[in-house]
This record gives sequence, C-alpha cells and structure tokens, in this order.
Amino acid sequence: MDNQTVDRLNRLDDAITEWLRPDNHDLKEAIDRTVNQKLFSFEDVKHQILVLKKTLNKRDILRWAEPILKHDDKIEEKNILCLHAGNLPLVGLQDLLATIIAGHHYRGKISRKDPYLLPSLLKILAKKGLVEQNSWTTDLNDFAHQKAEAVLFAGSTNSVNDVFNELENMGIATSNTPALVRTADFSIAYIEDSALETMNQLAESVFRYGGKGCRSVAMVVAPFSLKSKKCGFTDYIEQFLMKAPQHDKAPPALYQRYAYNKAVGIDQAWLDNFLIEETDLRPSIPYVLHWVQGGKEKLGELIQKYSAGLQTVYVKDPTVQIDGVNPELLVDAQQPPIYWKPDGVDSVEWLLHLNEQK
Amino acid sequence: MPENTLQNTDFIFDKSLSFRGKAEKVYKFQRQNSPLYHTFSDHFSQPDSESFDPYSIPLLPIRAFKEAEVIVQNRKPELLFKSSGTGSLNRSKHLVGDADIYRRSIITEFTRYFDLSNSAILAYTPGYNENRHSSLIWMLNYLISKSGSDFSQFLPVGEPIDPALVQQIADKGEALILFGAAFGLMDVIEMGDADLPAGSVIIETGGMKTHRREMTKHELRHALAEGFQIPSENIHSEYGMCELLSQCYSIGSEWFKTPPWVDVTIRDPEDSTRICKPGEEGKIGIIDLANIYSCPFILTDDRGIVNEDGLFRVVGRWDSAELRGCNFLIDSD
Repeated sequence: MDNQTVDRLNRLDDAITEWLRPDNHDLKEAIDRTVNQKLFSFEDVKHQILVLKKTLNKRDILRWAEPILKHDDKIEEKNILCLHAGNLPLVGLQDLLATIIAGHHYRGKISRKDPYLLPSLLKILAKKGLVEQNSWTTDLNDFAHQKAEAVLFAGSTNSVNDVFNELENMGIATSNTPALVRTADFSIAYIEDSALETMNQLAESVFRYGGKGCRSVAMVVAPFSLKSKKCGFTDYIEQFLMKAPQHDKAPPALYQRYAYNKAVGIDQAWLDNFLIEETDLRPSIPYVLHWVQGGKEKLGELIQKYSAGLQTVYVKDPTVQIDGVNPELLVDAQQPPIYWKPDGVDSVEWLLHLNEQK
Repeated sequence: MPENTLQNTDFIFDKSLSFRGKAEKVYKFQRQNSPLYHTFSDHFSQPDSESFDPYSIPLLPIRAFKEAEVIVQNRKPELLFKSSGTGSLNRSKHLVGDADIYRRSIITEFTRYFDLSNSAILAYTPGYNENRHSSLIWMLNYLISKSGSDFSQFLPVGEPIDPALVQQIADKGEALILFGAAFGLMDVIEMGDADLPAGSVIIETGGMKTHRREMTKHELRHALAEGFQIPSENIHSEYGMCELLSQCYSIGSEWFKTPPWVDVTIRDPEDSTRICKPGEEGKIGIIDLANIYSCPFILTDDRGIVNEDGLFRVVGRWDSAELRGCNFLIDSD
C-alpha cells in the first residue's frame, strides 16, 4: 500500500463529503439549473443525490480501491478519456471516480444533457488536486489532438464505430486505443409473488428515471400473467408516479405500438407514457416493460437469448439462485453500490491493468 | 361479389389511374375486410375522405407477419411464403390471397427494365424444390418459366458457372441475366473463371451481411463488376421481401425506383406518421398495393433514405436497441 494512493483516497473522500454537504451551494445551484432547464425532474435528481449520500461512503470506496491498495508496483499514470452519458443524472460519476481511484489523469466529455451536476463535483476535485482544471468539457473539440491512452464509455454496439471514427478524426484516439465499452442496455426482474413489497420494488425498478438506464428493469419474469395482475400492478405504478412523475414524454411510436399490440392481440396495459406488454421480445425501445409469464426455466432461456444486452438480473429473495448469473437484489436496482460492475467489468480493475487491455 | 374479394384487381396495375385513387380504394377495402388492420388503423387519425392523402395511411409494423395471420377475412391463401431464418418463431409468413397478382407484379416490373423474351435467366440460388416457401425463389422460378430462353435455369449452388453454358447463351444471341444473393455471387467469383459476356446483367438480391466479410454496396458493386468482368452499370439490385408482392429495382446504381403501384417513404422511427425529408435516415415505409389481400401498408425495419428524385436507398437494418440506447455518446447538438 503506497502513501500516495492512501493520500489520494483520503482527498477523494474529503471531496465527496464536501460535495454532498447540505450547505454546498454549488451543488444546489447545479440541481436548480438542471431542474429549471427541464433536463431531469427534481425527483430523479433528488433520488440520485440521496442514493449517492448513502453509497458514496469511505468503506465502499476502500472496498472498490482494494486492488489498487494491494498493488505493489507503481501504476503508470495515463490520460483517460471518459465519455459521460446523459440519460440519467450523474450517470458518469462512476467512471470519474474509477479513474481517480486508479491514479490516472481524468479527462471528461460531459454530456450536454447533464452539464451541471458532475462539474459541481469536478470543481472540488480540482481544488483538491485530484483532477486538473480544464480537464472536462461539453465540447469534445476542446480535446482535439490531445491523445487519450484509454477511453471509457457506454452506449449501443452500433455506435462504437462511429464514436471511434469521431475520436480518430479529432486526433484523440484510434481503434487501437484501449477502450472499456459498456453496451448492456436493460435489466430483468425475476419475481415469485405479488406481495406489496415486491410490487413496490418492481415499480421503482421499472419506472424510476422513466425506465431509462441499463439498470432499469425492462423485462419482468413472473409466475402469473400480466392480465391477472394488471389492475393491482397499475395501482402500485400510479402510487409511484405520484411521488416521482415521469419526466420525459414518450414519442408517438409508443402509442403506435399500443395500436399494433391491440391489432395482433397482445395483452398490454397503457399508462399514457409507458406501456406494459406481455411479450418476451428483446427490450428495444424506451418506455416499454415486457411482462413474461414463467419460472426459472423461462428466465434462463431469456438470459441466454438476450445476454448481449442484458445488464443485471434482479431477484426479490436473496436466497434465490439463478444459473449462470449473479443476481442482485431488486431493491438495489436504482441504488447500486459504487463498486457495482457495469457489463460485469470492474472499471478500477480494468484501469489497473490498462497495459494488458486491448 | 363477396365482400372480401374485389371483382377485379386490374386497377392496381392500371397506369391511367392515379396512385392516390388506387391507394384510397385499397385502404377502404382493407378497413372493411381486415379486422387486424382495421383495429390498428383505428388508433390513428383517419385520412381525409375529401382529399385523400396516401401518406396519411397508417403503416403496420412488419413484424405483424411474424406474430399474426395477415390476410383479409374469409380469404383462403393460394400461396404461403416464409422468410428465411432459423426457428419458426422468427420467420415471417405471408399468406398470399391471389397468386395472379404476384405473377403480374413480377412480370410488369421486371419487363419495365429487362427483355424477358430474349434473355436467359440464371438463378444462382437454391432451386425451387429446395425452398418452395421463398418468395424470391418462387419469383425466379416464374421468371425462368416465362423467359424465352431454353437456357434459363437454377444453377447448382457451390459450383462455378459453367463456361459452356455462358458460351451457348452468347452464341444464341441472348442476353444473360444472373440473379443471386450478394454473398453467393462473391463465392462464384472466388471459385474463379467467372467472366461473363460484356452485355450480361447481374441482379443481386441483397444478403451482404451474411458474407464472410461485410461489404458496402459500393464495394460490392465494384467487386461484382471486376469479378464478372462486366461494366458496373450492368450491376443492378432487387429489393424485395417475403412480406411484399412487389419488387423494386436499382438500375446500375444504389438507388431503387418503385413500381407505379408502390410508394416508398422514409418514416421517423419515433413517429411513423412523420415522413422524413430527403437525406434523412429512418425506417422504410412501403405502400404495396399488390398486397391488397394481406396488408399493403407496411413499416419495415429497414433503414433507408430517399433522395430529391424520390428514389430510395437501403442503408441497413434499423437496430431498435439504439432507440432504447443505454446512453448517449457524443451529443449531436
């Protein structure tokens, strides 16, 4: 364990504490601007901040940093470009923290859809010498011809080539630059009952952030049909949406899908800006929850079929075992620990072994 | 006249009638006779009956052909076409209510560009007996049967084209029209000795992604021209699918032209009622009036664009996962 790493982690912990303090006016202003500009709803930002207050503790950071702390050799510091997504508030935070924990130089392309929240932390990190001033921007052109030695980002498989073409055109990275690309885009919940707690957790896991984000549940496997639980479940959803109204309106394609389902006889529930349908199709468009009646066998089949896009399988009961995956608890769907592994990859570990990455 | 049958479907191919008028007639027929389409279209604004606009007709997602029996009520199918694919669940089924309409559609559009009476059709595809449910194979079989050449035939897949056959066609003064999927034609080139007489024509029917190496259309055209030693303006493409009874051809280019009874528009994937401007990518929307007994108003999952002249190009498949998209990468604003 080298002193530099310990010092860095201590400064990081101080920065996070300072950032999340109730009297941090910078963060408050960032939240206000985000909400006033209708980038995200107040409820979604508040939820995210509350989750971070709970999960960004020193114990978990040290747990995440364990491979770094145990690493004997000095880590060669490299320039890491993080392309932050903007579909959820602060969704890029994990990559920023991983880069700092691993001791690399952070450079961040901040999403124009979430331009205030992360910079409110970055300013404190810069003050503490953990990132450089001007190491973040919403305009990638600002990084033109500054070679990145690794790239972290998340997005659809189809977009990977476009992203690298753009980075190559800007002289930032080439197709040979090591890249940690996360492409999973949906999660599955496996439930075995329709008890109050289960349905409330299910509603939260599906409808938080309007269903966006790869941790959001887009498919539920349950032993009962949608038809049999439609009324009850929609009551839970309504209760949830009263507390956290959906921020984004669904495009007309959603209603057109409803029309289609009606025409071909697919059972469904229409919720104005959300659709629940009884199909086992791959979740592909936002605002749709696929309801699948079945047990573990059906779940296993779906996990295998959709492994390419599947992020997480959630279970209500912690004792439930699912073949081939390590399920997470449904209650944690929208409040993951900071060390969770998107696409099964620990980003700190990945950055630690950067020289071995392709 | 039974309600589910039109006394005469000649109007579909009648050039003297406007597309708008024909589309209105077919739309009303569908609304009356297809409960599936009726239910679907009920959820959209109805086209104005005073000044009917075909572009306001709701387009049914093409996956209906996988998930439902798409045929007007009480009509018995004369043909059944199935899309290629593995597993019955993933295959589209087209129940064809009137085989004559398909025959007429095939001949009318093909002879708009090619002389069937003096051409030998060579189909480098599986034969009809091996794949009776393929609409493409059915079409090729029909063209072979209607061609004026004794040399028209399905070629054995996996073997090079017999140079003696090519010579015989040339000696007879017939034009040679070679049909094949892109990957199959590339295989023929790789087998060697694939030169064709200079006036020969190649019609590729898609299937680039299944080749060992993915190619752009431009690369494919260049490779086919070079491989078969014919000018690139003789490399054409056919756009068709199991769910459609009409084909579109691109003649010597990548841009497809529709038959007079077909209309293609590009639709916004987030709102199929919005028509994209020329150059804007979206889903290919098709009105194929030859589909009168199944569904003529279809939203495909193909990604395409139209140009200012109304010709369209197929760019690839619309991967809907990117609509859900976990994240946004490099902002486009």
